Amino acid sequence: MTIVRRVVGGLAMPLGSVVFAFVVGGLIVAATGGNPFSAYAGLVCGGFGIGCTQGENPALQISNTIVFLTPLITTGVAVALPFRAGLFNIGAEGQLLAGSMACTAIGIKFSSLPTPILLPMVLLGGMVAGALWAGVAGVLKATVGAHEVVTTIMMNYIAQWLLRYLIIGGPLQLAAGTSKSLPIGPGARLATLLPSDNSLIVFGLPASVYRVHSGLFIAIVAAAVFAFLLWRTTLGYEIRAVGQSQRAARYAGVSVRRTIIVTMLIAGAFSGLAGAIQIAGVDHNLTDKYFSDTTGFDAIAVALLGLGSAVGIVLASLLFGALHAGGSVMQSDAGISSNLVLVLQALILFSIAANFLGAIRQLIPGLRRQAGAPPPETPAAALMTEAAAASEPGSQAT
Amino acid sequence: MGQTRLRLLGLVAVALMLAAACGGTSSNTSTKQFKIGLVTDIGGLNDKSFNHLADVGLLKAVTDFNVKGDVKESKTGDDYIPNLTNFASTGYDLVIGVGFLMQEAVGTVSGQFPNVHFAIIDGSGTDAAGNDLKHANVASLFFREQDAGAMVGVISGMLEKQGKLKNNKGVISAVGGVSIPPVNHYIAGYKWAATMEDPGIKVLVGYSNDFTDPAKCKGVAQQQIQGNSDVVFQVAGGCGLGALQAAGQAGVKSIGVDADQKDADPSVIASALKKVDVATYTAIKSVVNGQFAAGALTFDIQNDGAGYQVDNFTLPADILAEVTKIHDEIKAGTLTPPADIPA
Repeated sequence: MTIVRRVVGGLAMPLGSVVFAFVVGGLIVAATGGNPFSAYAGLVCGGFGIGCTQGENPALQISNTIVFLTPLITTGVAVALPFRAGLFNIGAEGQLLAGSMACTAIGIKFSSLPTPILLPMVLLGGMVAGALWAGVAGVLKATVGAHEVVTTIMMNYIAQWLLRYLIIGGPLQLAAGTSKSLPIGPGARLATLLPSDNSLIVFGLPASVYRVHSGLFIAIVAAAVFAFLLWRTTLGYEIRAVGQSQRAARYAGVSVRRTIIVTMLIAGAFSGLAGAIQIAGVDHNLTDKYFSDTTGFDAIAVALLGLGSAVGIVLASLLFGALHAGGSVMQSDAGISSNLVLVLQALILFSIAANFLGAIRQLIPGLRRQAGAPPPETPAAALMTEAAAASEPGSQAT
Repeated sequence: MGQTRLRLLGLVAVALMLAAACGGTSSNTSTKQFKIGLVTDIGGLNDKSFNHLADVGLLKAVTDFNVKGDVKESKTGDDYIPNLTNFASTGYDLVIGVGFLMQEAVGTVSGQFPNVHFAIIDGSGTDAAGNDLKHANVASLFFREQDAGAMVGVISGMLEKQGKLKNNKGVISAVGGVSIPPVNHYIAGYKWAATMEDPGIKVLVGYSNDFTDPAKCKGVAQQQIQGNSDVVFQVAGGCGLGALQAAGQAGVKSIGVDADQKDADPSVIASALKKVDVATYTAIKSVVNGQFAAGALTFDIQNDGAGYQVDNFTLPADILAEVTKIHDEIKAGTLTPPADIPA
């Protein structure tokens, strides 16, 4: 019984936030002269291939959603893990870019190697690059106390400008006058689930339009590794202990410095993996589209909505991936600007941060918690207070 | 072996997903209404530039030919392929990709849907290495941007020569987005024409390496203005709006690009026009008339696909006469601005 109640209590906040966002989003659509129902029908069609009216292919829509959600899972983990240690990793984007750059560089340099050697090389290379990118922030936090929010944001800029240099005038540029890199070798590519063949017709369309690749499984394994690490290992215990109270952790013999650095290294590796998977599975080269990539920032919302848990992150990634894929279908079918998707994402985040649901529950007597019930389950909000406690003056890492 | 098994697993997974989601299929009506899909690049419809103009061309075609026109705005580069594929797979007759950035995506999707017509502004359908795939269903809509660049170059060069500008040290400048052909064509025409009018003129050229962030172009423009530039020509899409602002704040003049940008900043004295609306309209017309032709289609001053506009400013009679004369010579083909930036 307690477990059921805790699960329901845990789900109430993210579900409530999503419902809140959709209701307010619907009001905004209606206020601007659109029809919220056709807008959401377009989103559902575009995201899940359900109820399409304009002949959209359901398999194609689901495939697009999966392609979008894959990098969100690993970057979501990269944000959630440091949250548990009381650290805000705003740098998942920069770490993702570092991973994609390393993956591309290795994939081009050793392009003739066969898959069994080259594929692990590019994925591990991406993870190492991401880890180093985040590790800088971790080391600075642990040694001189530089706030990780500031350092990770700055590292994002460095990654973005490094990327520009590399593919515009730098060593990875394809040719003068282009803003992309050479393609990585065939051995560095993750297999797509269906053969990339224009003549093979699957579900009424050429098989090559379904871009779902095996990176999906890597991402799901990464989420499982994250859960195992956090709840079943000594390191995970130390991470959570540092997140709860650095002083108590230190008293219990945990090295806070070491934990902070290791946490950031692991988080960066997850983000770097996302970047490597995008290159190896989808793009096969670095292009100017990475200038406008927002995966690492969406990951912050994914981690919060997923309450920092592995399952939650996968589900939140599914929602965000579906919103991403659904936006353009909504725009062409219902005539509603796809900017609505950004509004919905912001509303979800806003609702979680403000914890509306907790306030509403306090206001309605019937919903108020009875004595003896388990303590309130609002992990995302709790995570924030933990982080706030960690940055109290005097609780510097030593 | 491992891959085959993985694919099999994937097939099963996709089949399972489909079991839950069975959609309808499109049906053909007897009276054919053409369906046109437009995919913007990351600049979006409100870029006051070529995405906006492409939409203008589409809307005109919707009125004139009674076609169904729909738009998908790309939020990130990840959206290009899904947006193009979505149109191509839902029975659209022509799918238009706006911009050079979409070349590879158009190359991929046009190969998957050989029976759908594609048009791309400023580029062709390419493979990952940037080679034109020359698919028989892709029309490449190119512009001789140097024609438009030359017209504003004449205006800038003459103004500078006559000493009517602020610094009056014989320096003008251009802020490019990324050093790619469409950007460099504009700058080539600009520099060529300005030098023709005033052989001693110095033309500073800088790149922001960005098309969306105004702050980056503002920085490049401010450096050029410190180097005594009197006219800043922006060739950087949404990023370039920052260059126009920088000119306005420093009290020097600026020149807009692609669309008429007189409203972007009071410092704008002219705009180099790339008539993407004309190109889009022409491509749609060709499909409606059954005369679609693959390959390159070039728009320039000769076919009224490029030009200039004077903004917030009245040209002195002598400059107007010179500008009109050069325009007529380019139109007649007796004068040809270069495609590469002169040394």
